[in-house]
Amino acid sequence: MKTNRRIFMSGLASVVALASTSMSFAAGKGLIAILTPSHDNPFFKAEAVGAEARAIELGYETIVLVHDDDPNKQSELFDTAIARGAHAIILDNAGADATVAAVQRAKDAGIPSFLIDREIKEAGIAVSQIVSNNYQGAQLGAEEFVMIMEEAGNYVELLGREADTNAGIRSSGYHDIIDQYPDLVMVAQQSANWSQTEAFEKMESILQANPDIKGVICGNDTMAMGAWAALEAAGRNDVIVVGFDGSNDVRDSILAGGIKATVLQPAYRQAQIAVEQADQFITTGSTGLPEKQLMDCVLINADNAADLETFALSA
Amino acid sequence: MRHTFLIPALAFGLATATAGCKIVENPDPNSATEVEANQTDEVRMAAYARDVWDAQVLPTVTNNLVSISDLRAAQAQDPEAAGQAHGLRPEGEANPWNFAVSGSGIVVEAKLKSRAAKLQIDTDADGVADLTIQLGPVIRGTALRDAMPFLTFTDFRDQIEFAKLAGGLNAMAHERLEIPDPETDVTGQTVSFEGVFSYKNATTKPEVVPTMLTFEGP
Repeated sequence: MKTNRRIFMSGLASVVALASTSMSFAAGKGLIAILTPSHDNPFFKAEAVGAEARAIELGYETIVLVHDDDPNKQSELFDTAIARGAHAIILDNAGADATVAAVQRAKDAGIPSFLIDREIKEAGIAVSQIVSNNYQGAQLGAEEFVMIMEEAGNYVELLGREADTNAGIRSSGYHDIIDQYPDLVMVAQQSANWSQTEAFEKMESILQANPDIKGVICGNDTMAMGAWAALEAAGRNDVIVVGFDGSNDVRDSILAGGIKATVLQPAYRQAQIAVEQADQFITTGSTGLPEKQLMDCVLINADNAADLETFALSA
Repeated sequence: MRHTFLIPALAFGLATATAGCKIVENPDPNSATEVEANQTDEVRMAAYARDVWDAQVLPTVTNNLVSISDLRAAQAQDPEAAGQAHGLRPEGEANPWNFAVSGSGIVVEAKLKSRAAKLQIDTDADGVADLTIQLGPVIRGTALRDAMPFLTFTDFRDQIEFAKLAGGLNAMAHERLEIPDPETDVTGQTVSFEGVFSYKNATTKPEVVPTMLTFEGP
């Protein structure tokens, strides 16, 4: 209670402070805070860049912050955003359970949150939760994987971070397709926590224990890049690798005949939509849309990889 | 939805943890028990799909039916206007339109032995298949779920639960079909159908999840 009031008061104080400082910005509509995981993964960088560009176009100032998938750090960044008197928070969060309290705290301080990419396990706290249709996307990736595997052979699955709903939903989408083919046998399933280096190390050891693998399906593109690097280092360019995200790195690998396919999440556009909904909410008090919204994903393979740039497909 | 499933679970947790205290949530007489709260998403959503099938899903399909030929004509003029007039879809950017369609046609090709059994149908009498009917048990897509205005993502815990709901509805569609023996040759037979599909583009054949299917012989 005491903490809440203190945060509220400090938030209030900085709103007042900001109101006076922003007088100097004639067209300034206020501050939008953009919080994402580390920009080491180009996916999150594209989100931050997309959100920031749109916010500036719409007349906002921005503050771009990185929580590194650490809920404690994310919590501190929420305090920063609250203290700075942000008018809205655009968030790709650090955990479906752990984030609920932070978003609630911002709401209590009068700051609406607009979530992208990852859900939280509560509705009614954030104003919008706009996420890629990971299940639909995973099914697209799995269908392509099954086709290239010719419906048979041993394969490995690299999973994302367990605390992230997207890791579970993608795996579920993969298996709802792949498990229909009894000749496709999963010989190893391990989490590489979305990380390229971790995927490289895991792939090396999995390959030692299971030299007879034919394919690797990955929960995201950075893990696909790590797995591919390990396979290449072991002289196993024959192994079929499929990713998820639609990064430029994987695009280049597909065009060079390395990784076979990925699934594009429209991350750049998604971040822009979140800012547009924040603007709509700030100016009218409502987005006019349901809180939780799904955006469909698109399969990327050698046929269309050349049209992919920074998580967007040119028509 | 979320409340239906979560609150009883919470209430139970509270009730056991604080026995003797006076925190009492109103139990929902139609809703979950502790056993149900412990079910997997898949089992719980399958049960939910069964609950809403006759009372809500089938009437929604019936009330929004458009004949496949009328729909094609409307789409040829203006796909977006056809969607506005006949389609169903969740709000939000770039969600595909779903349509509840009726029609009949001749079976051009039947794949009955597959887990993802399908019929290829010619509905405009040019001898070429122009529509696919998914028979299952493996039925692709989320058309049935996404065409139901009363099923909104916000009401569900997360994408996993919501995906299992789509699977549960597809399973109900399969369960209610009378599918011919896989050994029969149904090619050349006429079938009538009602069902739902997600519109992708003008060149992709509709993949209908049937809610009604009858074989009328050759």
